[in-house]
Amino acid sequence: MQTLVSGIAVGSSYALMGLAMVIIYKTSEVINFAQGEMALLSVFLTYMVLEYYHFPFYVAFPSALAFALLLGFFLEFAVLRRAKEPNVLGMIIITIGLEMILMGFVSWKFGAEPKTMRFPLSPYDSLSLGEIFVSSLEALTFVVALTLMAVLFLFLRYSKLGIAMKATQQNKMAARLMGIRTNRILMITWGISSLVGCTAGLLIAPTIMQPYMMWDPMLKGFAAAVLGGMTSLPGSVFGAYIIGVVENLFGGYVSIEFKSAVAFFIIVLVLCIKPSGLFARHYVKKV
Amino acid sequence: MKKTTFLLLAVLVVFLGLASICTAEEGVTDTTIRIGQWGPQTGPAAPWGAVARGTGVLFQMINEEGGIHGRKIEYHMFDDAYNPAKTKAGVKELQEGIGIFGWASGVGTAPGLAVKDYLMQRKIPWVGPAAGSLHWISPPQKYLFAVYPLYYSEAKILCKYAIEKLGKKRIAIAYQNDDYGKNGVSGAEVELAKHGMKLVAKVPVELTDTDMKPHIMQLRKARADLVLLWVAPGHAVRIIGTGRAMRFTPQWMSTSTCSDFPLMMAISKGLWRGVITGSFAQLPDSTSPLMLKYKKAFEKYAAKGERWGVFFYAGIGFVEPMVEGLKRCGRNLTRERFVKEMEGIRNFKGIFGRIDYAPFDPNDPYCRQGQKELFLIQCEKGGKAKSLTGWMEPD
Repeated sequence: MQTLVSGIAVGSSYALMGLAMVIIYKTSEVINFAQGEMALLSVFLTYMVLEYYHFPFYVAFPSALAFALLLGFFLEFAVLRRAKEPNVLGMIIITIGLEMILMGFVSWKFGAEPKTMRFPLSPYDSLSLGEIFVSSLEALTFVVALTLMAVLFLFLRYSKLGIAMKATQQNKMAARLMGIRTNRILMITWGISSLVGCTAGLLIAPTIMQPYMMWDPMLKGFAAAVLGGMTSLPGSVFGAYIIGVVENLFGGYVSIEFKSAVAFFIIVLVLCIKPSGLFARHYVKKV
Repeated sequence: MKKTTFLLLAVLVVFLGLASICTAEEGVTDTTIRIGQWGPQTGPAAPWGAVARGTGVLFQMINEEGGIHGRKIEYHMFDDAYNPAKTKAGVKELQEGIGIFGWASGVGTAPGLAVKDYLMQRKIPWVGPAAGSLHWISPPQKYLFAVYPLYYSEAKILCKYAIEKLGKKRIAIAYQNDDYGKNGVSGAEVELAKHGMKLVAKVPVELTDTDMKPHIMQLRKARADLVLLWVAPGHAVRIIGTGRAMRFTPQWMSTSTCSDFPLMMAISKGLWRGVITGSFAQLPDSTSPLMLKYKKAFEKYAAKGERWGVFFYAGIGFVEPMVEGLKRCGRNLTRERFVKEMEGIRNFKGIFGRIDYAPFDPNDPYCRQGQKELFLIQCEKGGKAKSLTGWMEPD
């Protein structure tokens, strides 16, 4: 039981990163490899505001989210939109470049030594039910992941903007002809995605902060999104929980050494059987 | 006549040129000695990059004092990001490009292993790799002088203390699943076997692991009363933190790689208090004349924002024997002479423990293991270190 609970707890941070990746993929079919480092920059600036300038949490955290939103807008507007005759592969390469630039900036500005961020909850306090433990930070991450998933799901399905996003993904040209400002839609998508990623970063930072801290959650989030379906928000979340639980079960009962690798093995298996992911509807573009 | 003079001059020039090639050692000029080092300034191992910067400060201090027998040290340090491929490329580039006399320190077992054969085949001295791996001395290499006490020996000393002084009966280990961690496991197993005991759990930690609950569950299941943490600082903190969240609080012990207590206390939010580790160097607040001298050099030459942490001044300690060897050579500096002088170092005491080398004997690995002793410290409030023992050597 503890293994299951632990798997779900660890899956929550993967879920947030998975959500962030899916949002961008849903509108542009671009896999954003800079996702983790966009969050990293926002989180380190939050650390600076908290530790160097001693601002309270209620100022620092909303500012971080606002910054993340603007950072997403900015990167889409200033970098991706400037690409000449962009194709998906070119865009992905641009995101890898952005990843390196952002990581380099954070390493240069804040140094490589590990740090930890103040947070209202201690990552080392736990809630317990008999012999089952879950840290209060993980419980918070779980609640945040599910809430964000629900909010984003409703937003994309029922709001005008959400429907415009879907239209942009399915046929950009047709969407433009219908009066949708697709460039603006893409910019908003990047903003929202950056905000979700920043939320994940803020929930990871109280444990340990270092320039590489977002790489593993980003990879696992990506894996979760592939497993659940790159176009399905609930899919990425459940994919993340599946990965978390399988990793923990495998680590607990089979081999702790290959715990991380087993998740990727399952993904390969799922992709062979159901290439669009477990929860996504297979969408075929008409030519 | 003119033709004969020209011919004579040409012969003279060629002869003198050849003569100078025969006498000059690679990387040594009348006024300089070229020394190289790699170190991760970026990437996941970048916190250990302080080692190479510490060495730089020592060399700056020596140069300011006039160098070694009139020769200034030309220090060539590069960032290998703890990537063995980059280490090899960088070492080859410097060695074959400008010519390096010898290599100082260098962080990491894997990066070091990538260049060990290259350096040894070319008979290039290498002193003080910043890792306590058995690979440096088994088999011993004529041109490789290890300084860092072996992780294997450190594990033995920690286990001995745990059994004899703390009375622990159920000892487990969480180890990084590579050479570093496995050296710790073998040392612990050998020492426990001497006391008729076995490790109650051996839990491997992969470099990419971030969730430590499965590891804690295994340690808890084994009912360990003392756990050795043979992992990197980040993982050590995660394990202790997860242990606390799961109400598993044995006595924790760790290696000298996690002995930077102010850092460990900061990143563990105070949970590092009470942890026992090995220490291969004097403590950061030591007031010995040598430490004070180095600290003054640190204040003068180190970059803004640099911290006087264990790994920074370890970068000084790892190359102290090399500097001693260079001093002993006098003006007549060749690699062979340097090796001979290094072999003569006995009872050398810098800011590390005692350092001894011996003439090369392919059957005696310890002829190339300079420091064998270390002492145990415990983390106290505010990241202060309390010495638990004096300098100890494994049996």
